[in-house]
Amino acid sequence: MNGWLLAAIALLVALVPCAIVLFRDRPVDRLVALESAGAIETLQLLLLAEAFHRPVFFDLALTLALLSFTGGLVFARFFERWL
Amino acid sequence: MNALAVAITALVALAIAACVVASLGVLLMRNAYARLHYVGLVTAVAAPLCAIAVALAEGLWPAGAKALLVAAVMVVTGPVVTHATARAARSQFENGSTRAES
Repeated sequence: MNGWLLAAIALLVALVPCAIVLFRDRPVDRLVALESAGAIETLQLLLLAEAFHRPVFFDLALTLALLSFTGGLVFARFFERWL
Repeated sequence: MNALAVAITALVALAIAACVVASLGVLLMRNAYARLHYVGLVTAVAAPLCAIAVALAEGLWPAGAKALLVAAVMVVTGPVVTHATARAARSQFENGSTRAES
């Protein structure tokens, strides 16, 4: 257990309000919460990569950053056109 | 604790605080437009703080450069996704499928 791992665990707290909005609110509000949770998760992966001293884990954070961006755009387009 | 460790701890603590405030903002705000502001807090504030902390801890190459790249991607793509989501929210409100104010 090191400080980076504690910081990554502390970021889990930030995911709880996003999860509440994801379960409860309107679809477009859920999309906002999903984007926020994706960004928070990307930072959590950065901290975990540092905690476990694995440089290859930084690639996971980069992949999640790119995929959450793309996924957010796809969802937004879907809401705009088909809902 | 030397000055570098203090700086790294402070940067990470600020990043975590920004993420917690942002997620509380997403929970407590009334509509999608207000909630979108708090997504920017994560991508534009917390991400660079976290990446700078990692770069200070690990050095610039290769881990620091990767972390800074992740932060740069988030800073650039965050406003794009925010804009697209705001357009989607506006189209939902105009179609009447949801109300602008809760």
